[in-house]
Amino acid sequence: MHTRPLGRAAGAFAVITVFGALLVLLVSGSLHVPGLPPPVTPDLVPDPLSTEGYGHSVELGGLARATLNSMLVCLIAVPVSVLVAATAGFALTQVSPRTARVVITLSLVALMVPAISLLVPKFALFRALDLTGTLAPLIAPALIATSPLYPLVYYLAFRNVPAELYDACRLEDMSPLRTWWQVGMPLVRPVTAGIAALTFVLTWSNFLDPLVFLYERDTFTLPLALRSLATLDPTDFPIFLAGAVIATVPVLVVIAVAQRGPRLKKGHRG
Amino acid sequence: MRLVRSLALATAAVTLAAGCSATGEAAGPTEPVSLLVFGDPNELAAYRELEAAYERALPGADLKLIEASDRKDLIAKLSTSISGGNPPDLFLMNYRFYGQFAKRDAIEPVQELLDKSTAIHAKDFYPQAMSAFQIGGKQLCMPQNVSSLVVYYNKTLFAKHGIAEPKAGWGWPDMVATAAGLTRDTNGDVVKGADPDAAPGTPVPAGPPPATYGLGLSPEVIRLAPFVWSNGGTMFDDEKQPTRFALDAPAIEALSEFIDLRGKHGVVPTDQEVESEDDEARFAAGKLGMLMSSRRSTTTFRKITGFEWDIAPLPVHKTAATVLHSDAYCVTKGSKNKPGAWRFVEFALGTEGATIMAKTGRTVPSTMEVSKSPAFLDPAKPPHNAAVFLDSIATIRATPTISTWPEIEDVANGILENALYYGHKPDEVARQLDEQTRSLFERGK
Repeated sequence: MHTRPLGRAAGAFAVITVFGALLVLLVSGSLHVPGLPPPVTPDLVPDPLSTEGYGHSVELGGLARATLNSMLVCLIAVPVSVLVAATAGFALTQVSPRTARVVITLSLVALMVPAISLLVPKFALFRALDLTGTLAPLIAPALIATSPLYPLVYYLAFRNVPAELYDACRLEDMSPLRTWWQVGMPLVRPVTAGIAALTFVLTWSNFLDPLVFLYERDTFTLPLALRSLATLDPTDFPIFLAGAVIATVPVLVVIAVAQRGPRLKKGHRG
Repeated sequence: MRLVRSLALATAAVTLAAGCSATGEAAGPTEPVSLLVFGDPNELAAYRELEAAYERALPGADLKLIEASDRKDLIAKLSTSISGGNPPDLFLMNYRFYGQFAKRDAIEPVQELLDKSTAIHAKDFYPQAMSAFQIGGKQLCMPQNVSSLVVYYNKTLFAKHGIAEPKAGWGWPDMVATAAGLTRDTNGDVVKGADPDAAPGTPVPAGPPPATYGLGLSPEVIRLAPFVWSNGGTMFDDEKQPTRFALDAPAIEALSEFIDLRGKHGVVPTDQEVESEDDEARFAAGKLGMLMSSRRSTTTFRKITGFEWDIAPLPVHKTAATVLHSDAYCVTKGSKNKPGAWRFVEFALGTEGATIMAKTGRTVPSTMEVSKSPAFLDPAKPPHNAAVFLDSIATIRATPTISTWPEIEDVANGILENALYYGHKPDEVARQLDEQTRSLFERGK
């Protein structure tokens, strides 16, 4: 048990070295003056320092509007998706093992279908519903928990709760929904934090759906706006990197919150 | 997979049927028209300006601009919306990439509309661009621009080293000699960027790399083709309807000269150097004497403040030749407002519309009149020799139109890249080109 915190620290250190370095390069790159030839090797402290790229990126890429759209999608999609995944996962622990097995197998099959092969049917479906060109197709996957993986994760988490606890609830005449909310959910809080963060990242960085379903610039989400900045001339790279910084910050915030939340709770209990 | 595919087909068919019933010829210019384009933010801003001008010129008209960032995104968007039964009314597409949509019968030919039009006429456009968008003698799409491959050069660097600037009619050996004279080390002394005695496949010569290289030229089919043509060679078994790569002796000779630029002369940057700094960035940084590129690079280079630059025609082997770069407005077969779409095309390619796009500096207008106007030949902005783009048009040739051409280019470019940077034998390269693309030609028939 003693090596565990040490291993964790080493792992965290490795991850931070690899990804932290990229983040530093991203931020330092975004602080260059746009319009100059890009340096061959990255210079950590640009000379002169300039935040001009940020202004340009917001203006050229329509980042303000795009950030708003992305936030709107995530604000609706993430909670819905987590609730659906949690209820579905809980339901799987309450049905007969045979039914659960069938559902799990089907979920695994669904996981294996490449997203790209569903693009045209999805387009036809949303077109029939007259929803193309709106943000609805980006939110809709939340109704099926975004990915079949998430209900499965919840299923595994809820299954780890001793079955006697559920039986006791049943004896207390608690409805399944109440059992789920009052007994199940508090026990799997770290899972909820993890799934919420993952769903957020997946929804936030979704590129393919907006590419296909959105037409007008006013409806564009951040990945589309960023993509547009990526096509700028090589001399305008700080503008693109500034856009990338703006798009990355919310993700970092969400991950930090998700990390912090359950741990605080644990601390309280301990 | 089969289930998924048949489901996709079924839904597509249902939506198509639903879409068709709604199609009416009554739709006119006042119904909305959607236009799918791609470009960087500055270019898209020009399209928004075009949109505004169109809506001002034709009160009640409504153009909906659908913006994609690059060609790949545009093709993804277009393919999905065509399959899903809801294509845009218009899209802008390069002639090298429109074949797949022509083959799928997704494009409504504009021949009749053009014949009847009073606003624009076929004779107003450069025939080299028009013919690239014709299939079976019928005009499918209307070209918006007509660019060609030219040589951008760093005037200041030429003057510094006392080297004569390139001029029309210069030969390939002149170009090699010029490039060699511009390949210099940090002291400004001429150096050889390659070791001709090194074993083939040695990617980087020993010693410090040159500080400036003479030439930037990306190893691509569309960059090699003009020199094959200039040398009197052919790349394919049939220039109009090719079924395979078949480089003849003059073509192999041109290819060999092309490959020698790296292995023998060492005047182009190595693979690693291009990976770390692409040619455009290297030119903008003043570390490249010449760069072969199309009109697209002009907007990037107009931001250069450190030195003066200009353009010259491509060097010649035997006869002058260059390669066409052109995009066109295509009306989709599934469009619900074809008359409206055509009205926009008439406006966009008319004097006012073409002038707006010409002012971006990014494209050479396909409309002859506008191409000769100050909107394009702006004397206040570089390149000073902008007329080179127009003079080159007479010698322009196009790559063949086949539906699998983008895939063929991908494969062929990979082979040419290895050939240039790792000094493969020209005969071997020709054989690889043929072998590895044969099935793609077959599928493109």
